[in-house]
Amino acid sequence: MKTQFSVAKFDQKLQERWGEVMEEKKQCKGCGGALPFVIGFVAAVIAGWVLFPDLIYSKKTQPIRFSHKVHQEQGMECSSCHSFRDDGSYAGLPNNEKCMECHADVVGSDPAEAAYVEQYAKTGKEVPWLIYQSQPDNVYFSHKAHESFECKSCHLDVASTDTPPVYYENRLSGYSKQTMKMWQCERCHAENGVSNACHVCHK
Amino acid sequence: MGLDRRGFVKIVVGGVAGTLFTPVIWQSLDDVSIWSQNWGWIPSLNKGEVKAKAALSKLCPAGCAVKVNTVGGLPFAVTGNAANPMSKGGVCPLCAGGAQLMYSPARVKAPMKKVGEGKYEEIKWEDAEALLVEKLTPLKGQDGKIAAISGDETGTANEVLSAMLAGLGNTGFYVMPGEMFTATKGVKLMGGSGQPGFDIEGADLVLMIGADALDSWGTTVANQKAFAATRPTGGAVSAQYIYAGPVLNNTASVCDKWLAVPPTATATFSLALANALIEAGAVSSAADFGDYKALAAKAAAAFEAATGLKADALKELAAKIKAAKAPLVVAGASFGQGAGALDFVAAASLNVLLGRVGQQGGMTLLGNGAKAIASAADRDAAKDAASFLASVATGKATPGALLIYEANPAFALPQATEMAKAMGNIAFKVSFSTYMDETAALADLILPAPHPFERHDDALNPYGVAKATYLAGKPVVAKPVHDCKDPVDVLLAAASKLGLSLGFDTYADVIKAKASALGADYSALTAGGAWTGEAKGGPLTLGAAALAKAAPVALADKTVALAPVTRLAYGTASLATPPANTLTVRNTELLGKDLFVQMNAATAKKLGVAEGNKVKLSAAGSELKALVHVNEGVAADTAAVLLGFGRSAWDEYTKGKGDNVYKILTVSDEAGTGLKVWAGSTVTVAKV
Repeated sequence: MKTQFSVAKFDQKLQERWGEVMEEKKQCKGCGGALPFVIGFVAAVIAGWVLFPDLIYSKKTQPIRFSHKVHQEQGMECSSCHSFRDDGSYAGLPNNEKCMECHADVVGSDPAEAAYVEQYAKTGKEVPWLIYQSQPDNVYFSHKAHESFECKSCHLDVASTDTPPVYYENRLSGYSKQTMKMWQCERCHAENGVSNACHVCHK
Repeated sequence: MGLDRRGFVKIVVGGVAGTLFTPVIWQSLDDVSIWSQNWGWIPSLNKGEVKAKAALSKLCPAGCAVKVNTVGGLPFAVTGNAANPMSKGGVCPLCAGGAQLMYSPARVKAPMKKVGEGKYEEIKWEDAEALLVEKLTPLKGQDGKIAAISGDETGTANEVLSAMLAGLGNTGFYVMPGEMFTATKGVKLMGGSGQPGFDIEGADLVLMIGADALDSWGTTVANQKAFAATRPTGGAVSAQYIYAGPVLNNTASVCDKWLAVPPTATATFSLALANALIEAGAVSSAADFGDYKALAAKAAAAFEAATGLKADALKELAAKIKAAKAPLVVAGASFGQGAGALDFVAAASLNVLLGRVGQQGGMTLLGNGAKAIASAADRDAAKDAASFLASVATGKATPGALLIYEANPAFALPQATEMAKAMGNIAFKVSFSTYMDETAALADLILPAPHPFERHDDALNPYGVAKATYLAGKPVVAKPVHDCKDPVDVLLAAASKLGLSLGFDTYADVIKAKASALGADYSALTAGGAWTGEAKGGPLTLGAAALAKAAPVALADKTVALAPVTRLAYGTASLATPPANTLTVRNTELLGKDLFVQMNAATAKKLGVAEGNKVKLSAAGSELKALVHVNEGVAADTAAVLLGFGRSAWDEYTKGKGDNVYKILTVSDEAGTGLKVWAGSTVTVAKV
């Protein structure tokens, strides 16, 4: 059975709905205004600054609890392990060969050292250290060119820590929280009068 | 007060507005922009110290002394080793891709046992080694029941293999046919002994008869360096290079002169040249000079018909040779194998005629060298694998087990299809191979061998060197990419379990002993150096007695000489074209999956074919299909086809592309020597 469209009926329905809307508007006066907007705004600001940073990063710990403090107390310099190679490239973190100069066998009483010897020194497997400042493969960074800066200008100051800082990994990009972004590189270059041409960092 | 719809919308709007004042959107956008850099399937760089380590790369037959560039211990590039007197900083096109070939998809990744036709299952090394011993045990002490084929001409691994077989009561040690094999037999026919050498560096005129010395023959890198040294930039040319061979190849294209000599007329060319030299006044004190002179005169009469060249070309060449102070004739087959000993004798006799044996810039003779294992067979006593497999095919030889070391006889022997079938007559075949080649695909047990950068190896007297030369290398990487074991270590362990002690536990120890026996410093060798001895000559005849037995090759109607062409960049008998090198194959050599046969316009007209025609080349009961390319860089009555294609194993880059020329190479017994030869193969050509 076909339903006939009637202009009169449609107009009546429209009038009824308009009445309802006006009634709702009258009831809302006094309980609305800008407050809900403010509540939403403030909640978002709090969530964005307080909760979001915790959510976007996962926390990881280093595979071995390495104590810079203990090593410093032995009289070691930073360059004892973090040194430039003969060709000017930077060795970064020491590999097993370097660590095993002292730790081929357990020499102390720290269980972390025993774990290193057992799991890595004796198996020949390199320690999968989490690199706080790891840059992508398309970035060419020369430590030699930045030698005049303090290490802690860019790196976390770990010299006197007994436990390595927590490693925050961005859940989306996979990079460390401390990985320097391109704008930071560019700003420093600009401030120091160094070229920001593409080829300076992207070979 | 309740939250109505309007209020909710206000909160949402407020929330969105508030978010704009937080890092959520801005940081997320930034993170998304670099998110793709860390997708799991994107390869990442290996970080670490960059080093250049000396290594011996035996991917090419001669072996290149190279520097392997590593980062964090992993190879990524190969360059020549400037400190090595052999390579002088050069590297061949195969060894240049050595780092990439470590990660080739064609590598055998673990020991494999055949469980059905074309089906294999991975097994553990202890099971594989136990199976090897189990199969060899009942054959021990029965001569002829255990055989071995080696594809390595220069390694001390051959001493281990032959000594092991001898210790097990067997004499069946064979080598894949190469120039070294026939040349050594040729020297014997000339009354001498040892492996011939050629002092290309010291010569002021180098005539290469058949030998493609600047691309694939002998120590190609050293040859190229010697050639380059005579042509200093902006300076005067100090030596002439002349190539006499069937194809205008990479060697001929840079020489001062190319003489188009069909592969069936190599000996005739050499002897006719001898006649021209004798007419120009050359004499020899050799006892057989009289007979030789008569043979030379006979060859001169047949020269024009056999080669298609004019006799004046010989006179001109003879005049150049006579004018040179240190001329050298380099004798060889244009594709590195299959030439008869008589072709070698005919060319090498020119050095005797010119008094150039043992001279600076002349031909030399190298001894076998001191052995590491006393019970090993002498190097010049090697037997050829082609004859052996022919005997297996006819049932004359009935081995129960065959050990195949770094060789690919199922692909790289003449009448390859028949050779592969013959292997089917052997109950237990073991392939020690780095790559899944055609022979490994027929084996009952495949034992993965390390890549050259993962193993100890050595090379004594690579064919062509003028003086005794020894190279050795040790692994560049800490451990192989795949589950490999050095074949020699496996053989030594198996011998020990079979109650045979060869005095060594590892190949590294064998090589150290070899270095010591030669008087070489092992440490210096593995650091990239080379040990060299003195260049020596020796009394040689002109080989007239042997040459008198040479039978001329007659071409029937619609039959042409077959000239297989080797380009080192396209691979060797035991290595398929490296993936990177496939880019260098021209579209007149291989188009899609079609191989080209090249011939000059006169030959094409004679055969009734034209550019682009699809033709069938038939010989030895097999056939090869190809497209015709007319090229005036091919000798008369000759069809030139590239070797190294038509692979049925290996990887996606080479499998099924082109056809295998080895299928249509015809084996014949050389008159007077009994050697199997195929360099003078002929084929019929017909349109399809």
